[in-house]
Amino acid sequence: MTDLVHTGGCQCGAVRFRVEGVLGDASVCHCRMCQKAAGNFYLPLVSVRGARLTWARGEPKRFQSSNAVFRGFCGDCGTPLTYEAPDGVALAIAAFDKPQGIVPQIQWGTEAKLPYVDHIPDLPGEDTMADQDAASFLATLVSYQHPDHDTAEWPPKGRE
Amino acid sequence: MSISRIYTGGCQCGAVRYRAEGTLGDPHLCHCRMCQKAAGNYFMPLANAPRASFRITRGEPSWFHSSQFARRGFCAACGTPLFYDMPGADFINIVLGSLDDPYDVRPLTQSGMESCVPWFSHLPGLPGKETDAASDAGAERHLAILETNRQHPDYDTEHWPPEE
Repeated sequence: MTDLVHTGGCQCGAVRFRVEGVLGDASVCHCRMCQKAAGNFYLPLVSVRGARLTWARGEPKRFQSSNAVFRGFCGDCGTPLTYEAPDGVALAIAAFDKPQGIVPQIQWGTEAKLPYVDHIPDLPGEDTMADQDAASFLATLVSYQHPDHDTAEWPPKGRE
Repeated sequence: MSISRIYTGGCQCGAVRYRAEGTLGDPHLCHCRMCQKAAGNYFMPLANAPRASFRITRGEPSWFHSSQFARRGFCAACGTPLFYDMPGADFINIVLGSLDDPYDVRPLTQSGMESCVPWFSHLPGLPGKETDAASDAGAERHLAILETNRQHPDYDTEHWPPEE
């Protein structure tokens, strides 16, 4: 949490961000707008209001979800990236290269919290490689995802 | 005997809508780093629908090939992640939070646990607040958002966006 430079971006790497300074409140929001924007059960966000946010590569595309808020995402791969309100910007925590260090402290929008969401951590879980059907598939899989660090050039030469 | 039913869903802005008939199989969360990054989230919630009973009912998703085997569908106008698809398979995976009624499909397992964020099991224990409980200013803004919400409603519509 004490890192003063944080980097991250979308899955395909067309949009990369850099945050210098101290990150603000980290939360998950269960409201139905965050759910639908994320296609997910909730959206984990961290405020960068008190830090300096720069777009190191590309820039997000934005959807105005209400008169108050724009939501940024990668136009090439769709990764949800920002929640932009008049009083500041928040970034999607899992889009950071090191999301492990950004620990949410509060849950918002609990009126729309899905009834099963608190039980998720108790569900049986497996590592990716433990699935016999997936193992052969994964052995030959070539990921086109941007790595979890900045790159001088992307995508690598030879890949369209 | 099983009961066939209809599932509908789509993106936040409503440019892409889909419909699946039958049963959604293997509802689960995947924590792998590829699903995390595609979702901008801690996991991707997925279940599969038979391809024969699935169709896009409005617009077309955009696709990003995240590997040579799989492509991920999203709305090019608002970004909502919608599908995880292996084109050779006879099913397509739907991103569950994009369903009109996500209450309906309860996940049963988790995969990709090697990338699960270390404090994942602590999330349910965090203090929680309703959206408008933040502050006077927050409540006012929440009201303004409700009044100007541009999100597609959680059901199919004949025309969208509504005529101004």
